[in-house]
Amino acid sequence: MSPRAADRATYLVALLIAALFLVPLSWLLSLSVRTPQEVYLGAARYLPEDPTLENFRLVLTDRSFGLHLWNSLKICALGGAGAVAAAIPAAYAFSRFSFRGRTGLMVAVLLVQMVSPLVVLIPLYRYMDALGMLDTHLGVIGVYVALGVPLSVWVLKSSFDRVPRSLEEAAEIDGCGRAETLVRITLPLAGPGVAAAFILNTMMGWSQFLVPFILLTDTGKVPISVAIFNFAGSTSASTTQLLAAACLVAILPALALFVAVQRLIVRAVSGGAVRG
Amino acid sequence: MAARPLLWLLPIALVLGTVYVIPVADVVRLSFSDATLLRPAESYGLSGYAAMLEARDLGVVLRNTVVFTVASVVGLQLAGLLVALLVARGDRRGLPGMTALRTIVLAAWVVPGVANGIIWQTLFSEAPFGAINSTLALIGLPRVAWLSDPEMAMVSAVLANVWQGTAFSMVVFYAARRAIDPRLYEAAEVDGARPFARFVYITLPQLKGAILVNTVLVTIQTLNTFDSILALTGGGPGRATEVLSLHIFNRVFYNYDLGGGSALALVLVAISTALTLVYIALLGRGRT
Repeated sequence: MSPRAADRATYLVALLIAALFLVPLSWLLSLSVRTPQEVYLGAARYLPEDPTLENFRLVLTDRSFGLHLWNSLKICALGGAGAVAAAIPAAYAFSRFSFRGRTGLMVAVLLVQMVSPLVVLIPLYRYMDALGMLDTHLGVIGVYVALGVPLSVWVLKSSFDRVPRSLEEAAEIDGCGRAETLVRITLPLAGPGVAAAFILNTMMGWSQFLVPFILLTDTGKVPISVAIFNFAGSTSASTTQLLAAACLVAILPALALFVAVQRLIVRAVSGGAVRG
Repeated sequence: MAARPLLWLLPIALVLGTVYVIPVADVVRLSFSDATLLRPAESYGLSGYAAMLEARDLGVVLRNTVVFTVASVVGLQLAGLLVALLVARGDRRGLPGMTALRTIVLAAWVVPGVANGIIWQTLFSEAPFGAINSTLALIGLPRVAWLSDPEMAMVSAVLANVWQGTAFSMVVFYAARRAIDPRLYEAAEVDGARPFARFVYITLPQLKGAILVNTVLVTIQTLNTFDSILALTGGGPGRATEVLSLHIFNRVFYNYDLGGGSALALVLVAISTALTLVYIALLGRGRT
């Protein structure tokens, strides 16, 4: 096969894969702009003849839906920020100090992720019950912080590694202590890494379902992931188009963040998974 | 340097200790107890484990877990490898549009698990207007019982999972493929090796490490998540798609069986730990 023919084959397969991956999302989009009548016409109206934004209007003006979006934003942002804050000193220590057990501890932090949240939620549910923290955002945020710590430590460490030590030494000569050097010199220079860790945590939090599903029962407090699950359980065929619109609105923030930081994600995943 | 690393590690030690270390230790304790979600342990023993082994449904659940996990892991790796090699080839030839393909595959990965389940439910819907079935009807093919037939439901669950998870394997394989020394391919070309031979004798052996590591990571991810299954089939029809993690969830939070659920949770942790040890061994070998 000539290189030209191989290029054509490459494109053919690429198009096929792209189509397979786009069909589910485009079907969701198609459903979300249909009238109930067109929903019943199935694939024949993949391109609706009478598209409408009415479903989005209904979803977005629904007060409880806005509340769920707000809950998600609050829990994810605070959980993500908490994870970054907890991870900064540790990541700095892993980057700058040499001490016994350093590599082992770094691997241990990574391995925590291998434990399913489901396992730890069994006792956590009881602790939170005893502390009166069930059905509070604080409890959920606390768990999100822990879920975000491992990835944050690794992303932050690698961005601290890239900050030249000579800049820190200059600050030390001027009489800055370790902590002051970290806050004044290293953190501002590692800004992109800090932002990446925060955004990655927020995105992971946005997808999180199990933690809020178990720890929150008050429907006014649940985030969007739990809300669309509950909505899906209560809908019938006649409201499929509304479910599709709600689902799309729930996906879009994560999708938008992702498109903005795609390169960072690819680097974080390939850096964490195929070291050595 | 006179630094006290322990002080710097204190915040994450507190967080991970409270949310991971103590709870996992507590799961071990609970697994030997007769506690339920509603009352604390009154006595300790092996009743949780006995109940776990006696449960009639355990065999079905374990079988589902093996089928779902093996099929998903094979599917995820084949799909991930295909896309990664395709994008890598496009990159080398300077073909435009390869980044777009990568973005499309990654977009599926960003979709929350629950939303994934809901999307695929509308696709697999067996109502006359379900996406796939109404397409089949349009071209004159018989409808398929995607979700109501026990065996098809498992196929559907695996398809939805592969659609969502391919991106992870793709990223891992893409990075590994780019790390292969191009001189290997140049030498093979001089020797007259055909593309298939180059794939079998260069690409696959060079990717062996990445494939092994990815197998472990993807297996752990697949074992630990069930939100898309919960939204897609709810574990049904019957127990046809109830995997271990979903079963534990049901047992603890619907049947309030803390002892038996904890015993099963420990089985899940044990499998993950064993796989993790394999992962560490693989990483260690990669370094030397």
